[in-house]
Amino acid sequence: MGLSRRKVLAGGGTALGTFLIGGRWVDASPKTARELGFTPQVLTAAQCEALEVTGDALVPGALKAGLAPFIDSQLALGSGSKLIAKYLGVDPLGQQSFYRAIADNLIINLAHPDTTAEQLTGSMASDSVSEWVGPPASYAFFVLRADALDVTYGTPEGFAALNIPYSANIQPETSW
Amino acid sequence: MSEADTVIVGAGAAGLLLAARLAEAGEKVTVLEAGPERSTQDLISSQIWARKLKWSGPAVEEAGNHPVGHAFNAGSGTGGSAVHHYGVWLRLHESDFTVATDHGVGLDWPLSYEELRPYYDRIQTEVGISGDATQEIWRPKGADYPMSALPVFSQGRVIQEGFNAKGKHTAPLPLAINSRPYEGRASCLYDGWCDAGCPIGALANPLVTWLPRATVAGVKLVHHARVIRVERNANNPQQIDQVRYLKDGQVNTLKANRFIIAAFTVQTARILLSSADDDRPAPGNRFDQLGRYLTSHPAGTIFGLFEKETQPHLGVTGGQLLSHDDYDDKSAPGGFGSSQWLIANAIKPHDLLGYGTSRPDIVGPKVKPWLEKAAKHIGNMTLVAEDIAQPDNRITLSKNTDQDGIPLAHTYHDLSADLISRWDQRMAEGQGIFRAAGATDVWQGPRVPMHIMGGTVMGRDELHSVTDSFGRVHDTDNLFVAGPSLFPSTGAVNPTFTLTALADRQADHLIG
Repeated sequence: MGLSRRKVLAGGGTALGTFLIGGRWVDASPKTARELGFTPQVLTAAQCEALEVTGDALVPGALKAGLAPFIDSQLALGSGSKLIAKYLGVDPLGQQSFYRAIADNLIINLAHPDTTAEQLTGSMASDSVSEWVGPPASYAFFVLRADALDVTYGTPEGFAALNIPYSANIQPETSW
Repeated sequence: MSEADTVIVGAGAAGLLLAARLAEAGEKVTVLEAGPERSTQDLISSQIWARKLKWSGPAVEEAGNHPVGHAFNAGSGTGGSAVHHYGVWLRLHESDFTVATDHGVGLDWPLSYEELRPYYDRIQTEVGISGDATQEIWRPKGADYPMSALPVFSQGRVIQEGFNAKGKHTAPLPLAINSRPYEGRASCLYDGWCDAGCPIGALANPLVTWLPRATVAGVKLVHHARVIRVERNANNPQQIDQVRYLKDGQVNTLKANRFIIAAFTVQTARILLSSADDDRPAPGNRFDQLGRYLTSHPAGTIFGLFEKETQPHLGVTGGQLLSHDDYDDKSAPGGFGSSQWLIANAIKPHDLLGYGTSRPDIVGPKVKPWLEKAAKHIGNMTLVAEDIAQPDNRITLSKNTDQDGIPLAHTYHDLSADLISRWDQRMAEGQGIFRAAGATDVWQGPRVPMHIMGGTVMGRDELHSVTDSFGRVHDTDNLFVAGPSLFPSTGAVNPTFTLTALADRQADHLIG
C-alpha cells in the first residue's frame, strides 16, 4: 500500500491552535499565544495567571511554554478537549468548571502575602491547604503537574530539550 | 422490508471483521459507528493528540474499588479501541476456559481452547504476528508465528538480567506488529507511537486489516450514528426488526435480517438494556443476566532507574519481552489468579503512562534533571493480572441522561480481596526483579484498570449468561453480540487476539 516510511503523510494535519490575539483569531502555538498576549475564552485572566504560576512551580518552563493558553484553548473545545483530565475521571464537558474551581482556589491562596507558589504546591500534594474547596488539592496537583508536563515536554521541542528523538510518523503541526 | 442483510453496531476490531467476512460472503452489510471516520492518514504522532482516539461519547459513570477506566480503555471512531491498542496478541491459556470448574469461582467458557484454537491459528496468519513460539515455554498449542520476533533493545536486555537472576524465563513478546513487510504492510519503525495509532500500518489495527476488506466487499459505513436501542417485531418477540439511532440530531431507524452489537463492552450493554419494552425485559435479560460479570484486568507498572543506558524511547508500547512463569497456577499462595509481565514498554516523558507522570513527588528545579536522566536510564514493565467474573460487577442504566435524553451507562466494578492480594504480591516481586537487574531506584505506579470485558457474557444456558457460544442473544433468533463483552473469564492476557478469533468463529457460523 502506498505508505512510505517515516516521512509519510504530510497531509494528515491537525488544526492549529486558534487564539484571540489583539482582536483577531490567530493560529499559533500556546507559547506564541502567550507571548503575544492572548485573550482567554473560558478562564479569566486571573485564573490563567494562577494556573500558570502554580504549574510553573511544579514544572519550570510550563509558564513560558504556554500552560494557560494550552488549558484555556482545550477547555474551549468542550467535548473535544484533549486535556489529560479526560483520563482522570473528569469528563470533557465538566472540565471547565473543574479548572475554574482549581484556579479560584489557587487565587485565594496565592493572595496570601507569605505564600509562594512553591509552598502552595507542597501543601496541595498533602491536601493540607487551609482554604480549599471543591476537587481535592492533591488531585488538582496531579492534574496540573501532568498538564505542565504535556505543554513543556510533550512536544517535539520538549523532547529535544531532553535529547530524546521525537521520531514522528506524522509530525504534529502544533505542539499536540 | 429489510434495508440490509446485517446491521453491525460498532466499527471496531470485531465489528469490522464480521462486516468484511459477511460482505465477502455476499451479504449486504451496514455498520453504524458512533464516532468519526478515521484513516491511517489521521494518526498524528503525539500523546496529546492520541487522546482523540479514546472514548469521546457521553460520560460513563464509574464506581467500585476498581473503576473500569472507560475514557482511557475505550475508543471512538473507525477502528474503535483497536486503533490505539498496542498489538499485544496473546492466546488465553487452556486453564482460562474452566476457572469455575477448576477453582469454583467465576464462569467457564461454553467452548474450549481446542475449539477456539483453529481460529487463533487462522487469524494470526491473516493479520500477521511476530514472535518466537519456541521460546514461549508456557504457550498453548498452536501454529508457529508467521514472522520472526521483533528485536529486543537495550531496555529489554537490562531488565531481562533481573528475570535471569531470579530464575525466571522470558520470551520475545508476540505482537501483531510487523517485524518485516507483511501482506503489503510496512515493518515497524520501533519509535513507540503505538498509542497514537500506527499510520504506517505496521501494527495490525482494523484500519489496515479489516477496513480495506470491508470496503472492497461493499460494506456501508455510517459514522456519527449513535445507536439508542434495538426493537422487536411486534408479532414475534424473538425477532429484532430494526435499530434506532441518532445522527445529525435526527432519530433514524434501520431494518435488517440480522443485528450484531459490537459497540465495545459498556455501550453494547447500554444498547441492549435500553431495548427493554414496557411489557418485556431487554433482550437477553429474562433472568437478569444482562450487564453482569463486568471485568477489567488489574494492572500496574514497575519503574526503575539503571546505571546502564536503556534507550527507553525505542521499541513498541506493548513491550519487548514476556514472562508467563506465574500464569497457570491460579491458586498459588498469596492471592488468586494468573498474571503476566509485559517487559520494557517504549515510554514517553509525559502522558498518563509516561515516566514524568509516574513521579509526582519530583517538582520544581528537580524535574528537568530527573527527566534527562530517566530519558536515558529508565526501565519499566507492566503487570497484567486476572479478574474473576462476579455477578454484582455490572453495567446498568443511570438515572442521568445525556444531552439527547439517552440514559448514561453506569458501571460498578470491585476487585475481590484475593485478586488484590495477587496484584500486591506480583508487584512486590516485580520490584525485586528490577533490583536484581541492578536498578538503583525502584518504584511502582498505582493499580489501574486495563481492558474492559464482560457484561454480555456467553454461556451454555440463559440462567447464567446472555448469549450462546456464537454470540447469539439467548431469547432472540437474529440478535448477536461480538467483542470482549462476551468473555466469561479474562485470563491475564490482552484480549484483542481472543475477541478477534471469536469474531472469526462467529463469522464462520453465520455464513454457514
